[in-house]
Amino acid sequence: MDVLQAGVGEFTVEDPDELRAFMRTEKRREMVDKVMPEAEAVRRYIKDGDYVSFDFSSFTRGPASLVREIIRQRRQNLWFAAKFTLMESTLLAASGCLRGIDVGFLGLGSLIGKAVEEGRIKVTEWTNGTLTLRHLAGAMGVPFLPSRNLLATDTLTYSGAKVVQDPFTRRPIALVPAVNPDVGLVHVHQCDIYGNARCFGPGVSPLETAMASKRTIISTEEIITTDDIRKEPSKTTIPYYLVDAVVYAPFGCLPGGAQGVYEMDTEHFLEYMAASGDEQKMVAYLDRYIHSVSCHEEFLEKRVGVTKLMDLKRQATIKEGYH
Amino acid sequence: MICQCARLMEDGKIVFIGYGMPQIAAILAQRLHAPRMVQMYEFGAVGPLPATPFVRFTMGGPRNCYKSLAWTNMNTIFAQAQLGMVDLGVLGATQIDQFGNVNSTMLGSDYTRPEKRFPGSGGANEVLTQCWRTVIVIMHERRRFVKKVDFVTSPGYLDGTPGARERAGLPRETGPWRVVTSKALYGFDEQSKRMSLLGVLRGVTEAEVLKEMEFAPLVGEKVEQLEPPTAEELRVLRHEIDPTRAIIGKAARA
Repeated sequence: MDVLQAGVGEFTVEDPDELRAFMRTEKRREMVDKVMPEAEAVRRYIKDGDYVSFDFSSFTRGPASLVREIIRQRRQNLWFAAKFTLMESTLLAASGCLRGIDVGFLGLGSLIGKAVEEGRIKVTEWTNGTLTLRHLAGAMGVPFLPSRNLLATDTLTYSGAKVVQDPFTRRPIALVPAVNPDVGLVHVHQCDIYGNARCFGPGVSPLETAMASKRTIISTEEIITTDDIRKEPSKTTIPYYLVDAVVYAPFGCLPGGAQGVYEMDTEHFLEYMAASGDEQKMVAYLDRYIHSVSCHEEFLEKRVGVTKLMDLKRQATIKEGYH
Repeated sequence: MICQCARLMEDGKIVFIGYGMPQIAAILAQRLHAPRMVQMYEFGAVGPLPATPFVRFTMGGPRNCYKSLAWTNMNTIFAQAQLGMVDLGVLGATQIDQFGNVNSTMLGSDYTRPEKRFPGSGGANEVLTQCWRTVIVIMHERRRFVKKVDFVTSPGYLDGTPGARERAGLPRETGPWRVVTSKALYGFDEQSKRMSLLGVLRGVTEAEVLKEMEFAPLVGEKVEQLEPPTAEELRVLRHEIDPTRAIIGKAARA
């Protein structure tokens, strides 16, 4: 297959056999209790320089409390997969945690744009779809998947994709390299202590993210029994052996919402939007919501409050489909 | 702009909806002339009938995904688009050129040091690549209608030569179909693939529209007069969809 064009963006691909060897030895087959505090999960499984991916979005079922903990522990030189991301890339970049971003959608607000303009954050261009397809390739243990997206654009030029002549139809087609994140972060509605997990509603790619990632940290609204899991297995999104840590984090998506459980906190997002274009305000935002509280529980207690929590729960009147 | 966009959404079609204004246009179309339109979202919702009033930032949440036909995920949705199932896509853009190439990534001549960096493709590249037809919604400003975009985020008719998209491997018979602004409506000439002025809003002159463009679009013999929002459209927008004017206020100011 002749390579007709090769993108110049930075990326890495795992050797599929190295990946298999990792999955063979590092992913535990036995069911062991994986529940641990968020600080321990982040300390144990996220290192400086790691590639981090998350699911689903800042507004809905995102692992916001885990992202705040990464910032609290001041990880550095991370590379972040912004496949459907509005605020996390900005928070991580403003906190000095990031070296680079795979861009599906860079994020909202001018601060993150400025960080790229000034060369402080490296980016590789993708699209929401092709970045998610890279996770599927990673989840399948193959080095790439073909796509008809990206073709004939500058997005491709600055991506890591290659255009080849497809050996079957003889037409140009884009190949996107697999991504196997060092860590995947997924917030779920329910899981058991071993990590058998349920996500309700639409979502970007919870299963692909958990399969592709070498380590998967799950935060959950609710911990249920394995008996409950076994009663309705068609509800299981992610099986336990893909999961390395379970963090019990009710309201863990805030300021985003968890479908059917609580609505997003619109007021908070407006406050965030104001901070997302202003360095001073961002420093104050990070201090108020992350550094001045020691953990998610303290964030809920001191920065959100019972009244707001109850109100956001009350607003979640649409329940059908989310259980 | 919302109403012009909504009027392009046909009943009974599968329509790919982007974040923000296209969502409002889709609800409007569905309430008025397109009750059987199937909305499709990149994160996996198929056929929702969004709850109103529309709440700002809502997309993957329960209000926007209300009463869906199916909840899938991103790989499935973009596979279905690639398969040829999506009739129409609706996109926002930062910059567009005379051949409908769209930029939502950066301004400037040096990629490594952009003058201004924007969020990038999101799902725009997939939409403009895969949907049978794509509507691009953009503010009517001279700096946005440029001869050549600084960065091709999503493919239009490329250099405008016949068969350029197909040669590159893009799906046959796809590409930008309409460009909607607050003042005008454009299409693309079948032969030259150049943008052509189809209509101007009642009360706005052709000259006013063309002045706000860096390139001269083709102008047909008959330029349609676009009707401003009807009383019925305004009633649905103001009373059912967006009573707090969180979104329609912004579109009106543009």
